[in-house]
Amino acid sequence: MSGVLTLVQVLLGLAAAFALVRAVRGPNLVDRIVALDLVLLLVAGGLAAHGARDGSQLFVGAVIVVALVAFVGTVLVARFIEWRDG
Amino acid sequence: MTILEIIGSAILLAGVGLSFLAAWGLLDFPSALARMHAATKSASLGLALIAVGAGVAAESAGLVGIGLLVAIFMFLTAPISGHMLGRATYAAGQVSGLVHDDLATAAPQTLTFRPDERGRPSPTRMIPLVIIWVLLWRDASLGVWVGGVAIAALIELIRRRRSERVKIRPGAALVFLSRYLWMVAMSNVRVAWEVITPRNDQIREAIVAVPISCASVPVALLVANAITYTPGTLTVELTEDPLVLYVHVLHFESVAAVRKDVAALEDLVCAALVTPQPA
Repeated sequence: MSGVLTLVQVLLGLAAAFALVRAVRGPNLVDRIVALDLVLLLVAGGLAAHGARDGSQLFVGAVIVVALVAFVGTVLVARFIEWRDG
Repeated sequence: MTILEIIGSAILLAGVGLSFLAAWGLLDFPSALARMHAATKSASLGLALIAVGAGVAAESAGLVGIGLLVAIFMFLTAPISGHMLGRATYAAGQVSGLVHDDLATAAPQTLTFRPDERGRPSPTRMIPLVIIWVLLWRDASLGVWVGGVAIAALIELIRRRRSERVKIRPGAALVFLSRYLWMVAMSNVRVAWEVITPRNDQIREAIVAVPISCASVPVALLVANAITYTPGTLTVELTEDPLVLYVHVLHFESVAAVRKDVAALEDLVCAALVTPQPA
């Protein structure tokens, strides 16, 4: 079980690294915000996996909070881009 | 390992696989919108699976409950951010390499949200909000219930809505939901396959105008969101009068094929929702 969770967390970490590469490379704001949105979703996934590992429910609230921040942030930046370029 | 641990691990691995391929697609895909198809949607389904799988693997009913809450939350928010990012990308002029673009020649009159009814706190609509509040606290003491009712009443008070009444036919809604979940699963697999295979020669992007024949705003909104949640298709714009969806597709074959796919989905939604026909 903990082997599976380790694999899950390693893969999530790798995925976050890929997403960060895209966030740095761009080439435009939309790409960067999509990449950072993905990073936050991966962080939320990592928190959920951690919750399964130690059985505490402490991290579960954080999963929802991080996913919420990802959503609100993405919508906000999308609005900004439309307002700037639309 | 117990049975539950094995099932939970399988769900977890499916979720993490989707998330990983989403990130890979973000590096691999050729244009901004194509990258979005791969990333946001696959990853939101991936997170939902991870959250549920983690609960099952830990054999905790509480964690599964929260996992399902995360899944529902992703299901509600992913289409909204996907739609808004799509619009922003188009507005920023970052959509290039289209094989076909109906939006370029259209003079779209965007659907605007015109609230015409002030929200009144309705007890039936407050119940789910209160339940979610108590679930999130994981504490059913009196203070938490009172706080939940207060927050739900506040949300209901500031909420405004269009006065269109929608009724749901349970049977048809179930048919729609099961067919739709199948569609989501298949298109996720397809985009994941695209990420794995080294060449992206199947990608032909296009924006196609799809008229909504059912002529009801709630149906159009639900179809627009359903389309956006499936990887490979994305609603970029929705115009009212006439109701037309502008759908960005990753695998363009022909305009007729896209319209046929959307019409099939629309028929299911139309059967599931009873809405008053506009005069």
